[in-house]
Amino acid sequence: MSKRRVVVTGLGVVACNGIGVDDFWRANREGRSGVSLIDAFETTGFPSLVGGQIRGFEPARYMPEKTAKQVDRFVHFGLAGAEMALGASALDLAAEDPDRIGVILGSCLGGMLFHEAQIVGAFDRGVHRFNPLGVPRVTSNAVASHIAIRYGVRGPNIVISTACASGAHAVGEGLRKIQHGEIDVCFAGGVEAPLTQFNFGAYCALRVLAKHNDNPAASSRPFDQTRDGFVMGEGGAILILEERERALRRGAPILAEVAGYASNSGAHHMVMPQPDGSDAARVMASALKDAGVARTDYINAHATSTKVGDAVETRAIKSVFGPDAYRIPVSATKSMIGHTLGAAGAMGAMICVLALKDQFVPPTANLDRPDPDCDLDYVPREGRPARIETAISNSFGFGSCNVTLVFTRGK
Amino acid sequence: MTAPMPNSEIERKVKDILARKLDRKPEDIHGNSRLTEDLGVDSFGTVELMFEIEEAFDLQIADSELEQVRTVDDIVLYLRTWLDTHAKK
Repeated sequence: MSKRRVVVTGLGVVACNGIGVDDFWRANREGRSGVSLIDAFETTGFPSLVGGQIRGFEPARYMPEKTAKQVDRFVHFGLAGAEMALGASALDLAAEDPDRIGVILGSCLGGMLFHEAQIVGAFDRGVHRFNPLGVPRVTSNAVASHIAIRYGVRGPNIVISTACASGAHAVGEGLRKIQHGEIDVCFAGGVEAPLTQFNFGAYCALRVLAKHNDNPAASSRPFDQTRDGFVMGEGGAILILEERERALRRGAPILAEVAGYASNSGAHHMVMPQPDGSDAARVMASALKDAGVARTDYINAHATSTKVGDAVETRAIKSVFGPDAYRIPVSATKSMIGHTLGAAGAMGAMICVLALKDQFVPPTANLDRPDPDCDLDYVPREGRPARIETAISNSFGFGSCNVTLVFTRGK
Repeated sequence: MTAPMPNSEIERKVKDILARKLDRKPEDIHGNSRLTEDLGVDSFGTVELMFEIEEAFDLQIADSELEQVRTVDDIVLYLRTWLDTHAKK
């Protein structure tokens, strides 16, 4: 029996450089960064002051006001993304079997904002008094549960936490559940609201955040000689995955096909990537094999703008594609979105879908002086039209969690 | 010593908390309103409510006492008793 095929029929996104797919894609096409000086919390004294902070986002536009008040910010991103994606897919939930619809999302941190506020507050009030909402508001799976509760979808409800690969794992596991016949439709993606004082401070202490504070929009500089760390961003990206035959039958918009997926571990370190990039190469090769394709026309790189990571990924791409690597456009859209941790893999997946649909490669913004160790075609500063049949998205998480997703045009 | 908080003040504070939690007007909440039947507070809602009351009055409500509470007046009476007991110390 041939595998059931899976297509993307709806997208919803909240990012610092665009709320909603149209604004988001326009910004990424045009190389427009949404990174700014953080004012969500007091940053005085931190070496990094920049972040992908979302402005002008009104949760109550996408969910009942009561829900908006009850849940943490990472859930706002999930519910807003789901509402947009569902609308775009034109899926009629009333006509669907709710048991055959799943929700699989990625989140690295869960309700960190509320969690942190509660801890600070508890020490002010006395440590014996805790808010009971500290349980349902903080838990990472709240985001998938709230989507299920809102839409009454009763299939598998899962949140995956694999650091910066979470959102990519979620899309991959959604693909598998539909391929295997467990469900027909899946809300898949990732969310993160990491801009809190403690969390940001901890990443500062890890010395991994960008310090180009004088020019925030140019602070995320993947593959550039002057890159000095990643820019933490917040947001959410939700994709509606759907079994292809039924999507065609109902006349759904087919944006792309999710053609392949692989994940592995470098079994190496909690923070550092394996220096030779062999685990990253292995995961790309496995995903291509899973999709039954030998090459790709576009790579959405994990590339977060760290010294080590971008060079290792470059090495891995070369080892997979050989001389062909120099002909493949590779872009790092984290240069514009920032690094949204648990949402990042889903953002990358979404960029691939949009690139395939629009036949356009988004640029790597802020790539002014390429690092000699990074010598591929990174589509510097300006995007361009291209013939794209296959696109892949890489996600490499702390703790050596690696994922590659493969997308095709879905015709 | 500060003057004891009058019942009307306790009642006002409790109704304000309930109104905020339930998205209702304080004047729609009465002393004899039953939390579950009239105001639709479920068991999780009760837990949230008690936390808010503990915060507002700076006290702690034991599980056993929680079980006795049925109406808004029950809450006010409980708080009255608690405040009087602790004021004497």
